[in-house]
Amino acid sequence: MNNFRQTIAKLALPVGIAIAFILVWPDQAGTEAERQALREGRTVITYWDRHSGHEHRARVRLIEEFNAVQDEVFVRTVPIGYNALMEKTLTSTAGGAPPDILSIDGGIMAQLAAHRLFLPLDDFVADVPSLDPELFFPHIWPMVDIDGHVWGIPTTTDTYCLVWNRTAFEEAGLDPDQPPEDWDTFMDYIARLTVRSETGAIERMGFLPWVPWCQIYQWGVLFGGEWFNEELGRSEAGSDPNIIAAYEWHQSFTVDPDADEQLPHAMHPERIESFSRGLGDYMSANNPFYSGRVAMISEGEWQVAFIPRYAPGLDWDVAPLPQPPGVEPLAFGPSIIADVIPATAHHPEAAKKFLRWFYSPRGEGQTSPAGDYNEAIRNIPPRIYEAMEPRFIEHPRFSIFVKQLLERRVVRYPITPITQFISDQARRQRERVTFGRATPEEAAQAFEDSVNRELERIETLIERRRQ
Amino acid sequence: MTKWERRQLRNGLLFASPWIIGFCCFALYPLVMSIYYSFTAFNVVQPPVWIGLANYQELFFEDPLFWTALYNTLYFTVFSVPLALMFSLTLALLLNQKVPFMSVFRTVFFLPSIVPIVASAVLWLWVLNPDSGLINSLLRQWLGIEGPGWMADARWSKPSLILMSMWSVGGAMVIFLAGLADVPQTLYEVAELDGAGPVKKFLHVTLPMLTPTILFNMVMGLIMAFQYFTQVYVMTGGSGTPLDSTMFYALYLYRNSFYYLRMGYASAMAWMLFIVILGATLGVLYSSKKWVFYHGD
Repeated sequence: MNNFRQTIAKLALPVGIAIAFILVWPDQAGTEAERQALREGRTVITYWDRHSGHEHRARVRLIEEFNAVQDEVFVRTVPIGYNALMEKTLTSTAGGAPPDILSIDGGIMAQLAAHRLFLPLDDFVADVPSLDPELFFPHIWPMVDIDGHVWGIPTTTDTYCLVWNRTAFEEAGLDPDQPPEDWDTFMDYIARLTVRSETGAIERMGFLPWVPWCQIYQWGVLFGGEWFNEELGRSEAGSDPNIIAAYEWHQSFTVDPDADEQLPHAMHPERIESFSRGLGDYMSANNPFYSGRVAMISEGEWQVAFIPRYAPGLDWDVAPLPQPPGVEPLAFGPSIIADVIPATAHHPEAAKKFLRWFYSPRGEGQTSPAGDYNEAIRNIPPRIYEAMEPRFIEHPRFSIFVKQLLERRVVRYPITPITQFISDQARRQRERVTFGRATPEEAAQAFEDSVNRELERIETLIERRRQ
Repeated sequence: MTKWERRQLRNGLLFASPWIIGFCCFALYPLVMSIYYSFTAFNVVQPPVWIGLANYQELFFEDPLFWTALYNTLYFTVFSVPLALMFSLTLALLLNQKVPFMSVFRTVFFLPSIVPIVASAVLWLWVLNPDSGLINSLLRQWLGIEGPGWMADARWSKPSLILMSMWSVGGAMVIFLAGLADVPQTLYEVAELDGAGPVKKFLHVTLPMLTPTILFNMVMGLIMAFQYFTQVYVMTGGSGTPLDSTMFYALYLYRNSFYYLRMGYASAMAWMLFIVILGATLGVLYSSKKWVFYHGD
């Protein structure tokens, strides 16, 4: 009996370890289709999709097509969503278990590319005719071509327009076919569309520049300002009157204690913040625009897909965003979503095979999977010839977004290793302004100082590391 | 050491090895490395660069947000820990009565503390919604007043989180219940013979006998409060809004690590937090000599 116990004790650890190995052995993991692909000798690669929900399902359909039309590579997808994208990318890469392909926001890509987190794709891009940089909107390619290397392939791009609730226009006695085109009309409409209850609480806001999220960066651009001078490699926002004016405009939505007369839509800062926080989830029927709590919003082209899904009965329309007088017509092309291959990916060549298929036409005169993906999720294709296809340019509402990028000068986020920091700082200063903690001038200067200091610190570090 | 003792030692170590390996890999190694990283510029994916005391210098002299985060965390700790102690003790006293269905009541009051933190944070976002939340709706309907902005108002955001932290006092409550069960009945009988009423019995018997439990709950509460993160991350999307009023220390540390790729700076922050927690814990333990009573003292 004693011998038996000793034998069990000796075997316990190795048997336990063996069972653990069997359980986590790759051949035992994943779906039956993945195991079948492994048995057939195909290379199984992992694709992390930044999109989730119906947008991810559109990607899955295309990946299934790829898995069916060839027998060398099998792609499995994981919808990681856009929350904590940076954290997931960093930890997986540092832990030696990155995906083989990752779809990622352009801003995060620029930040991580500065730290050489991805594989340069220069040779690959040169070898794929449909990835000729000339085919893309001019503002797009610099977002992936950083420090002399191509780090990602642009999949989708965006821009913003004024989206308005036609029913709210009618209720306010406005013509629903006449969106505000100039700045004064826009401000007049904001006031006329704002509805207060008897107690003074806001029932419907005409427009609020930080709903559905803070867009101070865009408004700074549309006011004609420059947050960051890419040629100089530093911010001069503190002395830019247009940036200050954008902050002043945001401030105008709050009550000015020194003013004799208040704007009709102005509220106390806490009250306006309460209103904006009290609004519903973005991707739901409770979205403030869908539920009628906000009559006009600045939104992206994906609303063409979102509104029929979340607010099918909403009567809405779209027009270019009004700009203050004297500013050239501009479009804000905030970013892209790009496919990248992490530098430590296990199967980079197999990943490139998938990317080649995804971004190339299926045949002579046929569409590319990337174009079909943009159609399914209603994002703007980054290649001009695809954006000009009838399915995009002839769509009554979607075309208005596309034409912004085709007909106006497009301004995008700067390409720096501190993109997240820049966007955080612009938002923080907006809060300080609207809560009365800083004047617009102080806010712009604080933005400039913090951005330049952080950039200098990061660049010194990157330079030191390269030496 | 005899041959048998050596074999016993070997077997003991062998059976303890999963824990020893786990401790070394997942606790000791990160702990030691984080000291090293705190003197470097480290972005997680590339080798760290030695920068000496620069991270600490920046923390103390160049980063106002560090002090904001420290203030927010101290504010939360100073109010939430004593309140949670009082609330959980009150609940434990109420649930220590001999009435029917007491186990059901105890379960009901304990349940919130086993709700996943993320789920309870989302729930409280709804409760504290300034427009359509439960609290403001009740204030509007019953008292005819407009409630505060809660998480939307920089003056109310920290009190909102303190209020919310009362939701999860179930764990401390159970420990108090165990402490109450441990108070010798003879002490109550003696107090009654001396003419003590319920209040005096509580003040002179229950409370002194519960002081070791209070000390334990206080130390654990302090440690948890200083590391407050998940709820505020979920409720503000990690932004610390409005006006950095919910930028707690752990959240700012996290932002530096993963948003700004400053793992070295975050390591320095972590060690500062460790020193603060250690100081607070030692302070409480030192003071406990004067207010904690053990059986037989």
